Amino acid sequence: MSVSPPAVEIRHLVKDFKTSFRRQPLRAVDDVSIRIMPGEVYGLIGPNGSGKSTTMKALLGLVAPTSGQCAIFGKDSLKVDSRNEVGFLPENPYFYKHLSGKETLEFYGKLCGIRGSTLKDRVTELLELVDLTDASHRRIGGYSKGMLQRIGLAQALIQRPRLVILDEPTAGVDPIGSREIRDLIFKLREQGITVFLCSHLLEQVQEVCDHVGIIFRGKMVKEGRLEDLIAIEDQTELILKDADPGLIAEIEALIARDAKAELIRSGKPRTTLERLFLRETKRQETQPK
Amino acid sequence: MNPLPAIAAIPEHAARIAVIAFHAFTQLVRMKVFYFLAFFALILIASNFFNLPQHEGPEAAGVDVLRAIKSWSLGAMTLFSVVLSIVSTALLLPKDVEDRTLYTILAKPVPRLDYLAGKLLGVLLLVFVSLAMMDALMTGILHIRTNMVLADQMTFAEARGWPAEEMEALKTDILAQGPTASLQGAVLSVFLRATIIASLALLISTFSTSTLFTTIIAFLIYFIGHFQADARAAFLSQEAGMSDGILAKSVTLVVALVLPDFQLFNVIDAVIEGQVMPLVLLGKLTLIGLFYVVFYIIASWLIFAKKEF
Repeated sequence: MSVSPPAVEIRHLVKDFKTSFRRQPLRAVDDVSIRIMPGEVYGLIGPNGSGKSTTMKALLGLVAPTSGQCAIFGKDSLKVDSRNEVGFLPENPYFYKHLSGKETLEFYGKLCGIRGSTLKDRVTELLELVDLTDASHRRIGGYSKGMLQRIGLAQALIQRPRLVILDEPTAGVDPIGSREIRDLIFKLREQGITVFLCSHLLEQVQEVCDHVGIIFRGKMVKEGRLEDLIAIEDQTELILKDADPGLIAEIEALIARDAKAELIRSGKPRTTLERLFLRETKRQETQPK
Repeated sequence: MNPLPAIAAIPEHAARIAVIAFHAFTQLVRMKVFYFLAFFALILIASNFFNLPQHEGPEAAGVDVLRAIKSWSLGAMTLFSVVLSIVSTALLLPKDVEDRTLYTILAKPVPRLDYLAGKLLGVLLLVFVSLAMMDALMTGILHIRTNMVLADQMTFAEARGWPAEEMEALKTDILAQGPTASLQGAVLSVFLRATIIASLALLISTFSTSTLFTTIIAFLIYFIGHFQADARAAFLSQEAGMSDGILAKSVTLVVALVLPDFQLFNVIDAVIEGQVMPLVLLGKLTLIGLFYVVFYIIASWLIFAKKEF
């Protein structure tokens, strides 16, 4: 049985950009290697200007590496056929404003060679997936930021790619829109689609990704399974519900008797502001007017 | 999850180019470019009332109006087709880069040559449709006006008791000023010239940094193209006396290759005067047009293929 090639294989990628005024070229990506296996959700995190987008563009053949190689499912990124298996959502995408959501998906579908009823069915399916069926005949020019991101995600998925590359998929989107995009990423993961996303919103990356790479000033500084990277090995967390103060006191006494264990913190866990926002807006939405 | 069946067979380049071309055409149409047709109609109506001072005898009355209609119409067609070709081509590429829509297109299995060819064809389709509409308007009005002139002249000749053969000759002369096949050839020449200038604008926009730069340079080359032949002739006559002319020949060859000679399209003026446009000449202009389009597209592709976004 043949072993399937990695969805993404970036080997020792270096990318220099010529600058007009300085003799020294600007090194945007410095010896970065990434390997993403099929079905993984990989998050590349780093501050602005750290080389995340350049890495993605090199993987898509939009920029040529100064040295190193990029491949998608074993196919060289500089070759057009590598793009059959990949869908891309760029950062802050603007689609053709004169087209409606439906026409946009049809255009991208036709570019991928899909025609007729196959295209029609796929467009309907994707509009439902990204919850834009009602807005499908509206011009893109009138779409909100969240809707643009969702139609962008739909166009990325039009030819059923096995790999989806998302550059800052939730940048500038409100918490509800952001949650919807995250839910879509979860759906992709369930369908076995490999996702390569980059973001500087760390909480989101933590929520959806199983593998993470941290890039800083063009260099990969840390990479691995998210669980392994963030686990604090010498600590244990217990979260209790409806525990009376007596039980808490007993547990604390037990810990105090142990020579090695130490209680670091106890108290009520706090919800995140985001969860609070989502809960309250949902409550308002469901309340009768 | 299996890829859709259509993906298995990578679509033909032609199909993909057609998708991009129709999209570019729709984009330009939705930018409301066809509003200029209203201006064209106004020009056409105005040309009907534009009477030049009468130098010829009464037997030629009305013929100058027919010439004016053709002259104004073909002039307006030239202006609109050149402006549309340059501005549309100069606009499409930088807009895609600026809006990042180009990323999403090139991230699909779309070769860069297909993208360029599609955009150019979209502009040419727009120019072709515009010219066809303007042509229909011009031919319609010219047809009506020619019949009016013919009727007047025949009445005039009959009243004077002209012999039949002279009346026939007069009729032929008047019809030659009307909507002839040569006039359609002239419109096609206007389209061919627009084709060359659009592909030139495409080449400039692959390395230019702004729409404005592309537009200015393309217009400059368009105007230079009208003097290119004269400059070349003057240069050759100077060089001939000094050397064996190899240098002169190579320089003129390079100039002719890069800068099209738009004087070749001056045949349009002869058609306005009522002369017949030989089919061979139209064939020659078509070949020249094709040569420059292919040359400029290949040059654009060589630059665009290495471009990074």
